[in-house]
Amino acid sequence: MEHIHLTVNNKKYEVLVEPFDNLSTVLRERVELTGTKIGCEQGSCGACTVLVNDIPVLSCITPALRCDGASILTIEGVATNGCLHPLQEKFVEKGAIQCGFCTPGMVITALAFLKENPTPTIEEIKKAISGNMCRCTGYKKIIEAIAEAAPLLQEEGTEPVKPYAAAIDGKAIDETKGDQSEGYQVVGKGRPYIDARKKVTGEAQYADDFQFKNTLYCKFLRSIYPHARIKSIDTGEAEELPGLRYILTGKELTEKFGVLPISQDQTALAIDKVIYTGEIVAAVAADTEAIAVEAVKRIRVKYKQLKPCLTIQEALEPLGERDEPIHPHCREGKNIHKRASLRFGNQKKGLEEAAHRCRMHFEFDGLNHAFTEPHACTAYNDANDNLTIIASTQVPHYLHRTLSKVLNVPLDKIRVIKPYLGGGFGGKGDPFAHEIIAAHLTRKTGKPVKIRLSREEVFLTNHGRHPTELDMELGMDSEGRFQVLDADIRIDGGAFGSFGVVTTYYNGVLLQAPYKIDNLGFDACRVYTNKPPSGAMRGHGAVNPRFAMEMIIDELAHRVGIDPCELRMKNFLPANTHTVGQYRITSNGVREALQTVMEQSEWEKRYGKLPHGQGLGVACGFFISGSALPIIWNEYPQSVVHLKVDFDGRVVVYSGASDIGQGSDTMLAMIVAEVLGLNIGQIYVHAADTLMTPVDLGSYSSRVTFMAGNAAKMAAENLRQEILNSVSAKKGVQVNKLETRNRRIISKDREVDLSWQEAIDIATAHRGALTTSGYYISPQLGGDFKGAGAGLSPSYSFGAVVVEVRVNLDTGQVSVEKLWGAHDCGKALNPLAVEGQLEGSWHMGMGQALSESMKYHDGLIVNPNLLDYKIPTAMDIPEMHTNIIESCDPEGPFGAKECGEGALHPVVPAIANAVFDAVGVRITKLPISPEAILEGVKEREKMATVLND
Amino acid sequence: MEATQTYLRPQTIDEALTLADHYSGDFSYVAGGTDLFVNRFQGNNQPGCLIDITRIGELQNVAVENQTLKIGALVKLEQLRNFPAIAKHFPALIEAAGAVGSPMVRRTGTIGGNILCENRCTYYNQSAFVREAINYCLKSGGDICIATGGTKACFSEFVSDTAPVLISLDARLEIADTDGLHISQLEDIYTGDGIRPRNISKTAIIKAIVLPLEREFRSVFKKLSPRNSVDFTSLTSAVSLDKNGRVKIVLGGVSPKPVLLETTLHDDLASLVKEALKQCKTVENDVYSRLYRRKMIEVFLQESFEELLME
Repeated sequence: MEHIHLTVNNKKYEVLVEPFDNLSTVLRERVELTGTKIGCEQGSCGACTVLVNDIPVLSCITPALRCDGASILTIEGVATNGCLHPLQEKFVEKGAIQCGFCTPGMVITALAFLKENPTPTIEEIKKAISGNMCRCTGYKKIIEAIAEAAPLLQEEGTEPVKPYAAAIDGKAIDETKGDQSEGYQVVGKGRPYIDARKKVTGEAQYADDFQFKNTLYCKFLRSIYPHARIKSIDTGEAEELPGLRYILTGKELTEKFGVLPISQDQTALAIDKVIYTGEIVAAVAADTEAIAVEAVKRIRVKYKQLKPCLTIQEALEPLGERDEPIHPHCREGKNIHKRASLRFGNQKKGLEEAAHRCRMHFEFDGLNHAFTEPHACTAYNDANDNLTIIASTQVPHYLHRTLSKVLNVPLDKIRVIKPYLGGGFGGKGDPFAHEIIAAHLTRKTGKPVKIRLSREEVFLTNHGRHPTELDMELGMDSEGRFQVLDADIRIDGGAFGSFGVVTTYYNGVLLQAPYKIDNLGFDACRVYTNKPPSGAMRGHGAVNPRFAMEMIIDELAHRVGIDPCELRMKNFLPANTHTVGQYRITSNGVREALQTVMEQSEWEKRYGKLPHGQGLGVACGFFISGSALPIIWNEYPQSVVHLKVDFDGRVVVYSGASDIGQGSDTMLAMIVAEVLGLNIGQIYVHAADTLMTPVDLGSYSSRVTFMAGNAAKMAAENLRQEILNSVSAKKGVQVNKLETRNRRIISKDREVDLSWQEAIDIATAHRGALTTSGYYISPQLGGDFKGAGAGLSPSYSFGAVVVEVRVNLDTGQVSVEKLWGAHDCGKALNPLAVEGQLEGSWHMGMGQALSESMKYHDGLIVNPNLLDYKIPTAMDIPEMHTNIIESCDPEGPFGAKECGEGALHPVVPAIANAVFDAVGVRITKLPISPEAILEGVKEREKMATVLND
Repeated sequence: MEATQTYLRPQTIDEALTLADHYSGDFSYVAGGTDLFVNRFQGNNQPGCLIDITRIGELQNVAVENQTLKIGALVKLEQLRNFPAIAKHFPALIEAAGAVGSPMVRRTGTIGGNILCENRCTYYNQSAFVREAINYCLKSGGDICIATGGTKACFSEFVSDTAPVLISLDARLEIADTDGLHISQLEDIYTGDGIRPRNISKTAIIKAIVLPLEREFRSVFKKLSPRNSVDFTSLTSAVSLDKNGRVKIVLGGVSPKPVLLETTLHDDLASLVKEALKQCKTVENDVYSRLYRRKMIEVFLQESFEELLME
């Protein structure tokens, strides 16, 4: 140990450090400033950026001893005396903050950059932040924030100018966005997240930021084989280590779990055999991380290797006599997990009668969510001795149930708290083995137990997009009307079920819109393989088949010689109709969405007419706005919200909904404020704590705005009614003459004109605090055939994207230059947040189209880090033109429906279709490789030569 | 737990050399550390002693001496553009330095460190867990090259972005060692052995990179990578033409060491490409396929020649 002196944020510290400690560790654990985040541990993601003597450095790869005597600025030092720095204000105001996990590093980087370059161009800004990875925003709003902050810093120096509150409730509201608000005071006006200030100052606590006394640290021994029987586990040498507190092996936790009741196929640790490389075999809890790491090294496991099954093709082959299925419940003597098939109309007849048919084969690599915050949790016993876990989860409720089941602890003794969450995108939606292990170890040791996964472990845990192969055929009549669609889909589920049964269905059923197709059928099959499990990822199940369909439409249009937009327009389903599989379509803005992006991109003028190597491509999308059926079948509502108002007049919203960076807490506050006629500053959201908050089924399937939003609206209307009833009784005015507006309760004739506080005094007299409740239950929907429930939703979102690409004809590399996107979200409750969701979706779709892929070697992932798993940087994103389409959904809260996932679908095929427009090559395997483009171009040239001869 | 850790911060080259001599079995020098600390984190290089040379003042200078430009090995990649002599005579070096990693890496990473950047491979740049699960490649101490299945040679890629430009400019190194000062052509330090890609002694410290000023070079730098930031190279090419019409072509990212060709602008490009391909030991160990990277060599050389001829 050595002493070093640091000046951190102008405060002097004398710290004891190990010789090889990183600066990030010292800042987070010794200086206890956890605003500096760890996203990758190896200098790839930029989340840990701090200034050392005014130079931005990656603190996770900076030795602490080098900084002896240095002056360090972390995010906590950027704001002073309660005032945000103008750059922070701009981040807040422009919506540059979603999950907030990349924000500290991003702000620090931008701060140093603007000092050096006070008048930057957009390109210079992009370059400056190109080492700071953001997975939520698509960078657009971050770039805008930095650009707009630049002149402020010049004018006003770097002194903070405004107190925190001003940024939240003041000019941050974008007046131009509120035009269509039908008299709403809060809804429809873009505003920053209510927690943006916490995030931009580094105060927000994420799962890894909590420190408890006497905490034990847990590390895992993971399988080095994809498929093997465990012969023995020798823990003897590890047990001798001083400071080691517990060694856990699979036999202690035999109860199976899985997010779906029908897929209870996972144990917390492998018991008799391992089924993927990276599966947890043993867990140790120790006084320090170093001891835990050493203990893991000392555990000896003997395996007998079994034949692994690594691909879809292998999984579909009959198992040999000596081959062992991955799970005992595998079907048909193969490693098949689930088959799903639905047929509507008559495909055979449809195909026979189709004037034009196109059948294509597609392949898709697996993807990881690559949220910036690695999974983390701490389990402990709370003040009431509840077994409590603070976990980075999208669904506290399912974790609550799973912990109860696996650990055999009553539901009323378990508490799950979701802290600030650094992005999810579906990847934190399952209950996870490490969460169960942490809770179990707390029971066994009586101490808090902390687990943080490394980035590599995040990839090994995965649950990302399924690797997929599919064949699809689309037929249309001579009028250009789609007659028939037939799809055969195989998806690679990896080792466990996860959400996979739903994924299997979604791959087929979500093809039944936005186009009218009367003869539609699919066969989908999910296989198990000895690889990290696949699961739900943004756009769940529908992204890959959507790609296929939109490309086939493009191809048919090309063959027949009709404009691909026109062909789509011809086939759109209208509003207020049913699909062939009996989805009830209510609001539908797809036509307007496509029209909008056509106009903005000057489609008709430019499509097919750009120089060789440049191209435009279009595609549309469709997605559910909340699954109408709960995963766990019961009669409890899908979302419940409680409200409380006490003598002080503040309204507290209790909701189990998980804000994972998408802004759901803000959405709840806005809805309640709107109904009660209050300012958003009077609403306090307490969310996602299973002791305090009623059940919400969590942040997945794009359900939160629709379901939790409706529950909040109902609770607020109930509260409003109670208050008005009290005022009515007291003042002798009919209830229906009263209204809540501008923080007052007034009657139309102004006979009653009370401030909110006066009304609350009346309402709480002789009874105390008012509490009300609201809930959401989906209406009865759908047909009565098997599989009718899959994809049912009370509402659906629609969208369209046009992209312009440039293909380098020599290297085959594709760059997306411009993107025009439009998404029908019903009603944008918070347009700033909606734009952020759309831009983030487009960024993620671009990654899938062009660079992202989970690569394996014998079942082992070989790019489990943010250097080799290639999410787009700020220098890779196009100019984005963001359009919100408002179709005003009849059942959504104030007309709102989803915007978090559906926008992703069209961007992926639009890029591939643009490549076709640019170079005439159909790329049917993702990610698009420059090599495939060059081969395609060569092939075409060869064909042309043959034809000319 | 790791063995004893020692982190030392000498102020002079002599002091550093003495320390290196003392810890000779088990140390690494560390400059920027952007490469070294990642390798350390992954368990690929875990010496008991780190000798941090960043406080050595004499390694930080840029100076013109006798028709040469001397760039101190510790000049940071991001700083190179601030020196007018570099900007004037060797803009391609600034371009290459600007292509390294991310902006933060370039602010910490040094020019000396970049030319000593460890070779990379899909099967080597991994954590201890992954390397064990892969069953250890040759460079990780195993018996078989995972990329090729061979047992004799390691084909880890030479990935420095700046070294190809420097070599194309006939850069020499001033190297201080326990036995005195040495001068070496930059290309001569690379062995072509993927396991031990450089032949300079472990105690040696690169003092400066020396570039000739009287040759009036014009250079073209190109880098192939999937993204426009952060990525290591999958193919780097540097082509420099001097006032006498001499052309030096250097390729990185396609072999365990830089691939060199000396020629003139008027030589037959096709045969040059053929010669380059013959020298490249490119294998399947990169985000791009072997074939694609080899194919891009021709594209890069063609474009580079066109750009040089155009001016």
